[in-house]
Amino acid sequence: MKEFIAKPAKPAPASIVGPVAWLRENLFSSPLNAITTLLFCAFIISIVPGLFDWFIWSADWAGTTQEACTSEGACWVFTSAWSQQLFYGSYTDGQIWRVNLCIISLFAIIYASTVVRADIRNKVIIPVFLILPFLWVILLNGSLIGLTHVSTDYWGGFALNILMAAASIIIAFPLSFLWALGRRSEMPFARSVCVLLIEFFRGVPVLALFFMGSVMLPFFFPEGWTVDKLIRVWIVLILFMSGYMAEVFRGGFQAIPQGQYEAADSIGLSYWQKNLLIILPQNIKVSMPNILATFIMLFKNTTFLLIIGIFEILSTTQTALTNSNWLGGHSTEGYVFVALLFWICCFSMSMISNSIERKLETSHRN
Amino acid sequence: MSNQQLVNQTPSFFNNPKNRSLIYQFLLLAGLSYFFYGIVTNTIANMEALGIKSGYRFLSENAGFDILMSLIPYDATYTYGRTFVVGLLNTVLVSVIGIFLSTIVGFIVGIAYFSKNWLLHKLSITYVQTFRNIPLLLQVFFWYFAVLSALPNTTDSMSIGQSVFLNVRGLYFPALVGESGSGVVYGAFTIAIIAIFVIKRWAKKRQDDTGQQFPVLLVGLGLLVGLPLLSTLVMGIPFTLDYPSLQGFNFAGGVTVIPELMALALALTVYGGAFIAEAVRAGIQSVPHGQTEAARSIALPEKRIMSLIIVPQAMRVIIPLLNSEYQSLIKNSTLATAIGYPDLFTVFVGTTLNQTGQAIEIVFMTMAAYLAINMLVSVVMNFVNDGVSLSERK
Repeated sequence: MKEFIAKPAKPAPASIVGPVAWLRENLFSSPLNAITTLLFCAFIISIVPGLFDWFIWSADWAGTTQEACTSEGACWVFTSAWSQQLFYGSYTDGQIWRVNLCIISLFAIIYASTVVRADIRNKVIIPVFLILPFLWVILLNGSLIGLTHVSTDYWGGFALNILMAAASIIIAFPLSFLWALGRRSEMPFARSVCVLLIEFFRGVPVLALFFMGSVMLPFFFPEGWTVDKLIRVWIVLILFMSGYMAEVFRGGFQAIPQGQYEAADSIGLSYWQKNLLIILPQNIKVSMPNILATFIMLFKNTTFLLIIGIFEILSTTQTALTNSNWLGGHSTEGYVFVALLFWICCFSMSMISNSIERKLETSHRN
Repeated sequence: MSNQQLVNQTPSFFNNPKNRSLIYQFLLLAGLSYFFYGIVTNTIANMEALGIKSGYRFLSENAGFDILMSLIPYDATYTYGRTFVVGLLNTVLVSVIGIFLSTIVGFIVGIAYFSKNWLLHKLSITYVQTFRNIPLLLQVFFWYFAVLSALPNTTDSMSIGQSVFLNVRGLYFPALVGESGSGVVYGAFTIAIIAIFVIKRWAKKRQDDTGQQFPVLLVGLGLLVGLPLLSTLVMGIPFTLDYPSLQGFNFAGGVTVIPELMALALALTVYGGAFIAEAVRAGIQSVPHGQTEAARSIALPEKRIMSLIIVPQAMRVIIPLLNSEYQSLIKNSTLATAIGYPDLFTVFVGTTLNQTGQAIEIVFMTMAAYLAINMLVSVVMNFVNDGVSLSERK
């Protein structure tokens, strides 16, 4: 009879905790992995220190004129000297508080909607939110309320990017919900009108829509009417945004269980009561991450306004770059600064979207 | 009231859903008709006041301007209609390059997210988060004004083996010129593609019937490379290379890629690649881990698990996302107009519109062209999607 002889136990692994084990596990687990790691390390070492040096260590920070740009690195004097133009365009000096007020009101109302009671939110905050863009126009224009008149030719800068994007999505909200409802409607004519609208505004490049706004729309208004270019572009942005948002809402409708519609019908709610009180809140909840993603796209697309000659931030940067006192080739600094601004805004919005997604995850999945 | 009465009761005329829907739709139709009637009469009145002739007659008039780059013969003596075609082809060119390269970049970065290598994983995240959150227009400017304009002059351009040159005026590489007999090679290439489809169908049928597998990929690649190569040798190499060479202050001969095209294609690739990487990541993450475990439990080798279990299921999520990414890439190619690459938008909505003033017709034609291209992409991608979508038990 054969006797069972146990094999000697394997030696304990060198280490499974601590930095060395982590390195072995995550960076050098195989020869191929080790080569990849070394290659990318070399890549990072060759690029990052130089970048930091240009960015911070050997950059010029203090000064007001181009003469202060003496070092090898970036010249941030350029962006600080032009900061008012970059943020507010050529809005009249001394009136900039109006632009600030608009932006503060936007953030204040968003914050307020998260802290007040639900009934106040529904009856006060939401209606105020919907008329906010019109208040901005009145305040920025000023002639209607006795302030200095500032023509839209002087509106500009990063504030315009923010306000334009916000004003468009606010109006697009109800409009796109209407279109999305129309797309689900059982009325064949209404449905096809909505499908055509949505597909048209989604299928056409936004730049073509801007050109439609700036060269085609003037023909559509009755003779003698002149509608401001910025307002025409606003209309176009609202329609563009509505096309995308309607599709977001359509996805939301599909995520709501059929039982919700049936329950609303069974307690005798009318069509509008059912859709506004039962379906819309749930729809907004499930589509919030997608709404934010669409808003980020819209916000980035406001830079396209440069091409039809509206002084948003990129356009003011280019004006600053061609200024005769600053012809020292600061284009890299200018564009990097704008890119950084957009990156911070878009990245934080996508982080907010992620956290909302996690917070709204009320399903029983883990 | 008895039950019988309740059943027989018919709703009043306005409470009948059918009548209501008819009334609403009639009102919508009336409103829309009034709206369009207003627009059309206003437009006609405005155009008359400005003295603009409507219609498409301008398309056959002489254009009289040059275009930086054209894939078909064009000079200032051609018509406005021709400028539309030139622009359209340039748009298609940059879109195809952008789609092809961004798909490659996107798949590499998307798969790198799942790498066991910590550094690679973090770099993949950094790439996506950086380029997704910077407006495309800025990226186009960056490549055009910061990178490509920093390249050396024509006289001291960078070169690889005196055949590929890169300088501030563009990228130059040798052109392949076919001589008599080259048609046979193109024919062989076509035959190889058809043969691959036939072999694929045959192999699938054989596997369904007998369970035996056939190395379709290897044989297919062999055919695709081998047949054209064989025919080239048989025909006595019917090709010559046309090298670019420095003549005076500029290069002549070969193929020239203008810097505008390079900048736009680079920006679209980098930006689109970030979005496609997200799509690939979402697709792979959508496959439950149980699938991998199930595959291991039936002893499939690790390589086959990826190609037979994970990828086919991930593709179901990836393809619809790719469809919308490709469409937005094509729409974004209109940013060409910011750096002067002569795409449909720059040429037709830019120069032609300025010269003729036919705003309505030109914007309408351009929008129709983009809608048509996007519809084509959608049809192709839906066709691909049918191939990978879930086939349920019948």
